Amino acid sequence: MEEVDKILIHSLRQTGTDVGKDVQSVKHFTSELIVEAVVRCLRVIDSALGSGLSPSLPPGMSARFRVGMSLAQACQDLGYKGEIGYQTFLYSNEPEIRSLLMFLVEKLPKESADSMDQPAGKLALLRKSIAAQIKAQLSVPWLPPTCRLPHLSKTQNPGPSHSFHTQKLSLPYCLKVPGKKLLKGNPQNTWFVLVSNDQEMDYQKDFLPPVTAQPSQHASVPASLLEQHAGELSAAQEWENEWNSQGLLSRLTPEEYRSRKRARLQKRIEEQLRTATQPRPDTLGAPRSGSDLTELLQAFGGSTVAGDILTKGTRFTHTEKFTFTQEPEKAAQQMAVAAISLPSSHQSEEDLQAQQQEELALLQRQLQQLSLSIEEVAGDMRQLTVSIHQVSDELKQKELSNVEKEDSVRVKKQTIDLLPDAENNLAKLQALVEGSAKRVVNLAAQWENHRAPLIDEHRRLKTLCSNREIESSRKLSEIKELHIKIRQSAEEAKKKEGLYKQLITEFENLPKDVSRSAYTARILEIVGNIRKQKEEITKILSDTKELQKEINSLTGKLDRTFAVTDELVFKDAKKDESVRKSYKYLAALHENCTQLIQTIEDTGTIMREIRDLEEQIETENGKKTASNLEKILEDYKAIRQENSVLVAKIREA
Amino acid sequence: MNHILAKLSPGECPKLLHRVVDGVCGREPPRFADYSDTWSLVEWMELLDSISSLFRVAVGKNMPDKEVLAVLADVGSGCGETVLTVLRARREEIRQALVERTNNVSSSTLQDFDWQIKLALSSDKISCLQTPLINLSLDVKENGALKAVSFEMNREELQTLIGSLEAANKVVLQLK
Repeated sequence: MEEVDKILIHSLRQTGTDVGKDVQSVKHFTSELIVEAVVRCLRVIDSALGSGLSPSLPPGMSARFRVGMSLAQACQDLGYKGEIGYQTFLYSNEPEIRSLLMFLVEKLPKESADSMDQPAGKLALLRKSIAAQIKAQLSVPWLPPTCRLPHLSKTQNPGPSHSFHTQKLSLPYCLKVPGKKLLKGNPQNTWFVLVSNDQEMDYQKDFLPPVTAQPSQHASVPASLLEQHAGELSAAQEWENEWNSQGLLSRLTPEEYRSRKRARLQKRIEEQLRTATQPRPDTLGAPRSGSDLTELLQAFGGSTVAGDILTKGTRFTHTEKFTFTQEPEKAAQQMAVAAISLPSSHQSEEDLQAQQQEELALLQRQLQQLSLSIEEVAGDMRQLTVSIHQVSDELKQKELSNVEKEDSVRVKKQTIDLLPDAENNLAKLQALVEGSAKRVVNLAAQWENHRAPLIDEHRRLKTLCSNREIESSRKLSEIKELHIKIRQSAEEAKKKEGLYKQLITEFENLPKDVSRSAYTARILEIVGNIRKQKEEITKILSDTKELQKEINSLTGKLDRTFAVTDELVFKDAKKDESVRKSYKYLAALHENCTQLIQTIEDTGTIMREIRDLEEQIETENGKKTASNLEKILEDYKAIRQENSVLVAKIREA
Repeated sequence: MNHILAKLSPGECPKLLHRVVDGVCGREPPRFADYSDTWSLVEWMELLDSISSLFRVAVGKNMPDKEVLAVLADVGSGCGETVLTVLRARREEIRQALVERTNNVSSSTLQDFDWQIKLALSSDKISCLQTPLINLSLDVKENGALKAVSFEMNREELQTLIGSLEAANKVVLQLK
């Protein structure tokens, strides 16, 4: 019974009943504890049924009686077959309580069903707990900040309201800056370019503050660091992707690929700018027909100087500024000269002003004229430079024709020199020509000889090259496949690791206080015991049957022997007196023996009855009848008292 | 302008210059409060402007050292040397900052962003909502002024936003 009690108490604890540590078996349960346990169980089994019941016994006797009645009713509703009433709870006896509790515990929802819908249950539980927490926090009245206790300040203070801001950081091993250098550095020591020049090292050593001190607000340190890291990571990833998808196919070293891409981009930007700015000079009619990129950029620089926030000092804006500032200076100088040459202070103020205005107009006219003439001169200069170009081209052509002519003159001179001895020279020339022809034929033959192996070699190399190309493309595709495979396996590994972790946490979360295996072992043991007992019982039964058989056969034998003896003796008894006596004795013996057997049988039944009665007494004793009776009497008195009080109250009213 | 710089002791000079470069690169510039004993506010502003523009011009035009020294002729030669060392040490960083500024030539550019995820448990009409919401705040620089843009999105709206951003990224990649 102890095992059963332990299991019962354990499951009652799981339902939330506060069973004390010193309570080891159902025997020690008090009425309060019983009521609490039953109510908790009812709540778990059927929340609608249990919600109307309170887990604690009220002090008033009649209220207690009512609670007992309603509990009994609820248990009967659940389908409890045994005898139950208010007395079961108020005047408990062990076996009844045990059977009731066993019934209730069996009715509890099974754990297996629990674990089936655990994921959904977990989420719902979390949400429920969040909702409960919020509800609890909302129910707490708001307090002004100065009155808050520490535990309130956590929930009522506004959270960290500042948002995260990032600032640029400067790191000695930052990839962003030396990324550019990486292009220039030769491939052997790409990583050594991180070690920059001496002055940079000095700066990093002496002046660069640590990363934590670089942002203006301390709160933005983590955000800045994360941002920097994410930026570098994504850049590296993008580069890797691009390299894997396009770079490998181009069969260039990374540096070459980068420089080619840069050139391509620059060209593209140039084209874009050119097309975007092409219509502008046309509509304005400005003399910017030569669409050189630098001129376009100059136009940009000129237009952005006024309104743009950047006001960046490009070279063009500077030159422009320079030219603009010079002219007013000139004008001022001229003004000063003019002022000195004027007769001073004789004229009135107005005269002076008029004169000055006149002078100003004059000077402006002069200025306009001058600028016009400058423009003219510039146009002239342009024309002149064009003509200079043309002239120099002509000069070059003339020089070339000159050289040609000189050559022809020399040849003609030589032929003229040969003319006097014509015959001889002709023969010589013919011989020479023949020799040359022979040599040419010879050379051609030699060339043919050489050419054939060379062509073969060329063909061979070509095939080799194409083979290699095929091989390399095959390897490329293999590499690509490998990359994909690597990525897939990495993902798989990650997934499996996640699963492993989840399973580990699940395993850790499994309840360890109940040793299921111990229970099953115990149950198996009990089953084994029962089987053994059953065997013994069957053995005893067969023994009993045998005994019965023996008894029967013995009784039959006895009867037969007695009948034979009786007959023999009865025959002789008619003749002989002594035999007659012995017959009488025989009959008496038989009768006595039968009586004896009867008595023995009676004793057996009586003994059995006695045992039954003893058992009954024991059970009655177990029901604590005496103490319960006393309790009942007391409670009865209490109820009477309550009733009388109530009656008195009614009368008073 | 630069003769004001000579007021500072040679030990302090590189420190100040590095801080000015920090300011050029978008970090915290030096504070007037630290140098209020040495210069008046007007001098300070002038100095700061001139030094930072000097650095910008020197790096932007890729000036050789001699030209820089010529600009710094009116300062003591010691100071000029210091400016040169600082310039050499930080050239790449300043260049990067200038490139970044040039990149940001448009009416409005994104400077920074921040996000928060919230789970709406219930609303005034529905008792159980369980809708995740994202709160995205963008710091946009518009014509030189920083403007905070903040908006809240649910899951579908966020998907749309991410989709359009990805499409934009694809266009940029095609340009490359």
